[in-house]
Amino acid sequence: MRFTDTTPEAALPKGVKDFLPLKAAKGEFLQQQLRQVFSAWGFRPVIPPQLEFVDELDKSLGDDLRERAFRFDDRQSGRLVAFPPDMTPQVARIVATRMKEAPLPLRLCYSGRVLRHAEEQAGKDRDIFQTGVELIGLDSPEADAEMIAMAVECLSAVGAQQFTIDIGQVDFFRGVMDGVPLTGILAGQVAAAIDRKDSSELQTLLQTIDIDDRTREEILALPRLFGGCDVLNIAEKTVRNDRSRRALDNLSHVLKTLDVYGVLEHITLDLGELRGLNYHTGITFQGFLPGIGRAVCSGGRYDNLTEQYGYQVPATGFTFDVLNLLFALDKNLDKQVSLGSDALIFASGSDLQPAQKLAQVLRRQGLSVARDIYDRSLQEAREYARKVNFNTLLVVNGEQDEVQIIRLNDATEEFKPYNALLTEQFKI
Amino acid sequence: MNDWITFALPKGRIMQDSMELFGKIGITCPEMDEKGTRKLVFENREQKYRFMAVRATDVPTYVEYGCADIGVVGKDTLLEQGKDLYEPLDLKFGYCRLAVAEPKELQADDDPANWSNIRVATKYPNVTERYFAAKGIQVELIKLYGSIELAPLVGLSERIVDLVSTGGTLKANGMVEVETIAEITSRLIVNRASLKTKHKRISEIIDGLEPLIGDEVKISQ
Repeated sequence: MRFTDTTPEAALPKGVKDFLPLKAAKGEFLQQQLRQVFSAWGFRPVIPPQLEFVDELDKSLGDDLRERAFRFDDRQSGRLVAFPPDMTPQVARIVATRMKEAPLPLRLCYSGRVLRHAEEQAGKDRDIFQTGVELIGLDSPEADAEMIAMAVECLSAVGAQQFTIDIGQVDFFRGVMDGVPLTGILAGQVAAAIDRKDSSELQTLLQTIDIDDRTREEILALPRLFGGCDVLNIAEKTVRNDRSRRALDNLSHVLKTLDVYGVLEHITLDLGELRGLNYHTGITFQGFLPGIGRAVCSGGRYDNLTEQYGYQVPATGFTFDVLNLLFALDKNLDKQVSLGSDALIFASGSDLQPAQKLAQVLRRQGLSVARDIYDRSLQEAREYARKVNFNTLLVVNGEQDEVQIIRLNDATEEFKPYNALLTEQFKI
Repeated sequence: MNDWITFALPKGRIMQDSMELFGKIGITCPEMDEKGTRKLVFENREQKYRFMAVRATDVPTYVEYGCADIGVVGKDTLLEQGKDLYEPLDLKFGYCRLAVAEPKELQADDDPANWSNIRVATKYPNVTERYFAAKGIQVELIKLYGSIELAPLVGLSERIVDLVSTGGTLKANGMVEVETIAEITSRLIVNRASLKTKHKRISEIIDGLEPLIGDEVKISQ
């Protein structure tokens, strides 16, 4: 084969995907499982819009996300509008502007898609599927623990075997950095080095700053404060400032509740984790599955977000990135998701009514049933049914004849009277 | 397979240096020492370690996607690729400098303060662009895949950005180093999910290696 550069123009912009039936079924399954858990914990859905005014959205977006929103002007109003890059700020806006009178706490969930400009690297999605929850009106550690326990339950519900929920506390970091004379580029470099856990770079950067040894030690400890729950003890010995100590106290309360929920085996801690520093104010967490470097879910406390819309109320929440989850669990889902339909009904004679009637009866029984409407041979219909993942092919002749039931996975066949199929529950 | 730790190591000298260091904390792979082997994956079944020999520039990719939990790679590659990885240890070997170099004749009456619209040949277009952009200098980048020193000799570019360790290659081609962009050493990198899901084994490795690394940087030749 020769390589030519006359390949047709790509059909889609970078970072967006078409999902064909097999993949789409898995994505659908994941969203359903998550929504089921949300509902079991008493969360009610809201549906935010796909377009917002830029100035409203900007009130609550961090710098990073603000730059990554797709924005353009609205011909109807002449104002700038944007596709929301994240649903949490939208829910915060809805609560603050339309649900102020609603009794607290509010338990809300959502499932939708947001758009983000991605860095130019290959493989980064711009069309992101978010399915998540917000718990509004509670600032207690129990509320934080509820979020984490739910995330654990969600991961179990989608069939993840091994997973970790990694908990951070941004106030711990803020406590350590309070009063450190850091600004501009240097502050960014220090945060980036901590985020990469790059101790040697951090050490080099700190040499240029005038701080006491005690503070230097605290900052240098940050990249190594990760691991099991014993990290809490190490951290307690490392820091002296009140803010960090309060953060640890809060974290230890959350862990106690998680112990009651029986999910501690899935928990790790990372006090040097700075992702989410933009709008988070306390506990943050991310869910990881072995082998995929991106988090499948992330969340945390954001007590200042609704205030941007004029209603101050504490809040916490998390969201699943459904595509990351799909990427990580793709193979596992083969077993759990039924990718095919139950029966294809083929009419072997010229009278189509018995076939149509049977199809309708079986659908009412709750089966997924399609009619093979094409005028073609049984052999062709059978080939089609196999390729499109039907479990069985039913060959219907007349109402007085027997129906031939062909099971496509093992090619076994049996015959049953037509009327028996109409009255009995058909089993696949 | 999930309790195994997989390493991605760059073929050649850095792989030897890495294994020598790992050996000091008891991580070994006898399979690797077999003479004349052309295998790319080596295992130590007893200790549950796997080692992959890959191209240096591919190490971050294997680790980012989680095919390897841990990798060893030069800071130059990390700076160029800017991937989302943990870099917990500076291993201090494989020392060199990422530098701007130019022909000796040019240097004689050259003042970097006057640079504008210069042509630069390099294997590191991203780092080079960022470096010159920060200095407010517009550059025309020419991406090459090897023998960068050739570019100024044949007039492809006036200057180059490349790795310099002893300076021997530059000297042989009549070039001099004019500015250092970054000091480079090999780094231990870790996949983000691996650090969380396998934190016990990985912390042991990091904590074990850290005290063994001295302050002196080493050139790996």
